[in-house]
Amino acid sequence: MPVYFNEKEVVLPGQLLSDDSKRAGEGTYVMDGKVYASTVGAATIRDGKVDVITFRGPYRPVEGDMVIGIVSDLKPIGIEVDLGGRITALLKIKNIRELASLNLKIGDVVYVRVASSGLRGVFLELDEHFRKIDEGVLLMVTPTKVPRLIGKRGSMINMLKKITGCNIMVGTNGLVVINGPSPTKEFAAISGIRLIEREAHSQGLTDKVLAYVSSLVSGEVGHGAGGKA
Amino acid sequence: MSFLPIKERSFAVRIMNDKIYKLLQQGKRIDERSPYDFRKITIQTNVVEKANGSALVSMGGTRILTGIKVELGTPYSDRPNEGIFSVNAELLPLASKSFEPGPPDERGIELARVVDRCIREGKSIDLERLCLVPGKMVYILYVDIYVLDYDGNYFDPSVMSAMAALATCTIPKYSATGERIEGEYMKVPIRDIPLSVTIGIIKDKLLVDPCSVEENSLDTSIVIGMDSTSNIVAMHKNSPGHIPLSLMESIINVAEEQIGKIRAQFMEAVRIGQEGR
Amino acid sequence: MEQAAKPKLIDESGRRLDGRGPTDLRPLKVEVGVLEKSDGSAYIELGKTKVFAAVYGPKEAHPKHLAVPDRAILNCRYHMTSFSTDERKTLGMTRREIELSKVIREALESVVFLEEFPRSAIDVFIEVVQADGGTRTAGLTAASLALADAGIPMRELIAAVAVGKVDGTIILDPSDIEDKHGEADMPVGIAPRSNTMVLLQLNGKMTKDELKKGLELAQIGIQNIYQAQCEVLKKKYGVSMTEV
Repeated sequence: MPVYFNEKEVVLPGQLLSDDSKRAGEGTYVMDGKVYASTVGAATIRDGKVDVITFRGPYRPVEGDMVIGIVSDLKPIGIEVDLGGRITALLKIKNIRELASLNLKIGDVVYVRVASSGLRGVFLELDEHFRKIDEGVLLMVTPTKVPRLIGKRGSMINMLKKITGCNIMVGTNGLVVINGPSPTKEFAAISGIRLIEREAHSQGLTDKVLAYVSSLVSGEVGHGAGGKA
Repeated sequence: MSFLPIKERSFAVRIMNDKIYKLLQQGKRIDERSPYDFRKITIQTNVVEKANGSALVSMGGTRILTGIKVELGTPYSDRPNEGIFSVNAELLPLASKSFEPGPPDERGIELARVVDRCIREGKSIDLERLCLVPGKMVYILYVDIYVLDYDGNYFDPSVMSAMAALATCTIPKYSATGERIEGEYMKVPIRDIPLSVTIGIIKDKLLVDPCSVEENSLDTSIVIGMDSTSNIVAMHKNSPGHIPLSLMESIINVAEEQIGKIRAQFMEAVRIGQEGR
Repeated sequence: MEQAAKPKLIDESGRRLDGRGPTDLRPLKVEVGVLEKSDGSAYIELGKTKVFAAVYGPKEAHPKHLAVPDRAILNCRYHMTSFSTDERKTLGMTRREIELSKVIREALESVVFLEEFPRSAIDVFIEVVQADGGTRTAGLTAASLALADAGIPMRELIAAVAVGKVDGTIILDPSDIEDKHGEADMPVGIAPRSNTMVLLQLNGKMTKDELKKGLELAQIGIQNIYQAQCEVLKKKYGVSMTEV
């Protein structure tokens, strides 16, 4: 069955992608047996399905995601956690004693696992990876760019950590916490992340980030590309 | 009734409070500025042809559009010899997720009144020259300010865009009988150009022109308006919290110095705008 | 200020006041991603008509009782600045702005996959900075771009334009003065892929033939606007793709 796009072509909502409704994947919809794009994105074929990989868009929680959130309310049924201003998830608590032992206050930042997400809402759970983050710079990146920020098997994020000497925690929801030995190194990490976000789809990005961030760390060039936290 | 301020979140992120203060202690800011620097400022005038005067000012990620409409009307009875100068401000919901649609809320009203105070109290506009027939007919200047994009501190770019719009405004001339004198225009009678600076305070540290992330972490902040000879023409503490009296002298010094720095850029933009008219 | 006498809107050679022919669109400028704080945004200039649109969401619906269990709600506000018109517009929402907010919202609802975001809200804000005719259609065009820019799933884009009737002639994209003195104004919003109308209004009088001609003309204008929409989106996002 033919497809009507070149691999990685930028497609727009309503653009015809395929005549075979069985090939409809992410970011597409089927009408009258044909597959169309539903978002702006790069069209690609993965496992025989036609997918549109979006450039920008809301975070959609999936079970197992490790997210970073901000405690926004403490309630008898659990702790409400803001996952970036769009979604509030609930971390269920067994009893008051457990709540007290976590010692969380409104405004605290936590790293936590998504237990489930559906019509009833988003629920978080305490597991061995749960932790309260005590210091660092919190920033938001476009959630759709998170996979690029992490890179293949963590290559991009590990490279950033190595050059800047910063500890960088990335939530699947796009919230990121950076904690480093000096402001210069933290700013370098932020600038690197902003570069990845801006040019997520450009070629040779890893080398570009490496060169740019290295120069920032060594103080060779001025900053200013860092943008907002 | 005044409600709790609706910020991006109704609470500050704790680790960011710590981080912003620690950076200040080292003379740094979260967006890599120095403590007393303004963000990058751009000023465009005459952006809306249907307005008698207009300006679009951006200060970092905050963008303000001001337009002026001139009408004829009756003066206030207690000021029969003066034209009317009316400032309104609206925080448009497209500027931030913390702005709600609806009539101007207390923040919009506060913004309009602060801008009005900076301009009026400095006697920056000679309102008597906007009078056509005492007690009967005067020019009314409606200065309407819209916040288009909001990343903290809408006060300073608003004062700036209002002044830029006023300085490049052309008023259609009318005769004493209220007839339009075709083809004749006049400038707004401006005596002085006030500008403002917003200074945030965290413990013992000061910072100029806070961005939205910083605003959430400030102990308090104050807007200071100054004219071209560094007279203070308006002050307005615009958030809860204390200002130690011991800090006041350095606050005024910082204000004078920083307003001086942006004034040259402002005057240049206005000069270009006036030539374009 | 008094109403000026009706000027001659089309001269003997068929030229309009601004020099356009009857089927010409005004100069069009389209941009996306123009406002930093929103999730998606767009800006359109059509002659002197200047319009911003911004999208926030999907986010939790507030107040909570407004949330719908199986889909998102879409809120829309069409608003004009006080200095956008010849006479100063009073502050706040006029009845006209409330009506236009509703028809634009309904046009957008017909293409957005609201069912993908249960219990959420999507806010669309349209701000007319300068009004010189065709603001609702420019607003709808910009809003559909802002939704696409925000990555919100939709069936297709929407492009919109007005057609008018002045001095007995059907014209594309009437300016304010043509609208004021003309015999009819018909804003049309079309989803070009399915070729369906999502917004249609008519102020004034047209014969059946004129209506048919008007809709044909609208489609021609919309094709041009749609091309510009597609180009600007592809330009913003069209970068060489690697290891996505």
